Amino acid sequence: MENFKEGAFIYILASGVVLFVIVQSLFFLIKSWKHGKEIGLTSKKMTETVTASAVFTIAPAISIVATVIALTKALGIVLPWIRLSVIGNIAYETTAAEAALEAFGKTTAQTVTDIKDFSAVMWVMTVGSMLPLILVPIFLKKIQSKVGSATAKNAKWADTMAAAAFIGLIAAFIAKAIAGSGKEDIRGDGAGVLSVVTLLTSIIFMLILETLCKKFKLKWFEPFAMPLSMICGMCVAVILAEALPPDIAFLEWRG
Amino acid sequence: MKSYFDRVHVWGRIWTVSALCVIICVPLLFCIHYNSWPPFSGVIKGILAVIPLYWASAVVEVLSYAPLLGAGGTYLSFVTGNITNLKLPCSIAAMDSAEVRPNTEEGEVITTIAVATSSIVTTVIIALGVLVFRPFLHFVTDDSSVFAPAFQQVLPAIFGAIGASYFMKHWKISFVPIIIGVLVLVFVPTLQIGILILITIVASLVGAQIMYKKGIA
Repeated sequence: MENFKEGAFIYILASGVVLFVIVQSLFFLIKSWKHGKEIGLTSKKMTETVTASAVFTIAPAISIVATVIALTKALGIVLPWIRLSVIGNIAYETTAAEAALEAFGKTTAQTVTDIKDFSAVMWVMTVGSMLPLILVPIFLKKIQSKVGSATAKNAKWADTMAAAAFIGLIAAFIAKAIAGSGKEDIRGDGAGVLSVVTLLTSIIFMLILETLCKKFKLKWFEPFAMPLSMICGMCVAVILAEALPPDIAFLEWRG
Repeated sequence: MKSYFDRVHVWGRIWTVSALCVIICVPLLFCIHYNSWPPFSGVIKGILAVIPLYWASAVVEVLSYAPLLGAGGTYLSFVTGNITNLKLPCSIAAMDSAEVRPNTEEGEVITTIAVATSSIVTTVIIALGVLVFRPFLHFVTDDSSVFAPAFQQVLPAIFGAIGASYFMKHWKISFVPIIIGVLVLVFVPTLQIGILILITIVASLVGAQIMYKKGIA
């Protein structure tokens, strides 16, 4: 039997998914760009958004590729690629694959060789992740018209609340970097020296870059301050992991 | 003529339903092509194991992210995925640097542009990673690689950088959610991030509401 995990057919399926995602993104990009011009946003501002978002995306996207690679042993490279290109999420995809394989008495550490097991994993990962695609078309308009009418009533209150919602989201990840635990058998995924130092480094770099931008009126540089601070934080993690003794660098107080 | 938001919802619904068909086609066509159908009971068992985790967080995600991502951004994000670790921080950063507010037409346009760009770049990078750089990737992504710590710390790096400018601007309302988040984790260190986000967002909204009423925030 041909290699079903990495054969021509599954590559064709993957290309279809990738093409769909890109066409949909282009559709929304073009529509919003046109509307941006109608409401008076400058091309310069919108181009800045495109450049900054693209730069911002590079490092997290590489960590997604790492997740694809991590699942390759069990599932081949194409299925994880499909899953992480559409709806996928680095946190859930591995868990879903693990749960699906468990139902057949296997784990992601083993290579899946039976085509029936493989297609079962496909179904489980697909059905497990599709709920948002049902909820969003039904409820999004209602949710947003509620938010919209609240915003129209009291703009200052709505601004504070929007900021509070962002901060609430950010706070969850800050808290996790300070006090969350990782998986027992994985080194470096829980709160510890590296996560706190990375967090502080990217905060400090961001504050320095923002101050420099304001002081020297470097308006063009502002969109890059965030991605650059993020990459600086990641670089410091690499340097510390190399420079410090491992039992200090990889100290995780919550496991 | 319909408003821009109404049109976005029409497009968004059509694209989302199409996306649903596309993702179902993947396992369906695979099984038809190889004429190999998995045992029904096994699939159900697997689905039942995954659903509590996925579906609960799906409801939380739709409710908490939709107001922050804008209409176009939400439709697009939920199809292309990787929202918490990528699309959401990306659109927050874009609104911040373009100085536009969420839930305005300007905010809507900027978030949609940010999410669309991010989706295209992600899809291209994953595809390149898989097709072109696969032989070399293990140098970067292996657990033993010197770069491994960088990718393990992506989330603290992202949210530190985003947090910095928000905390500076709104430091008064920032204490409550961070302290609550840390306290919750002290007692339940393995809490799923999806649930933690819900707790800290609610704590943050309640705290900000009280401070707003008292005229502090």
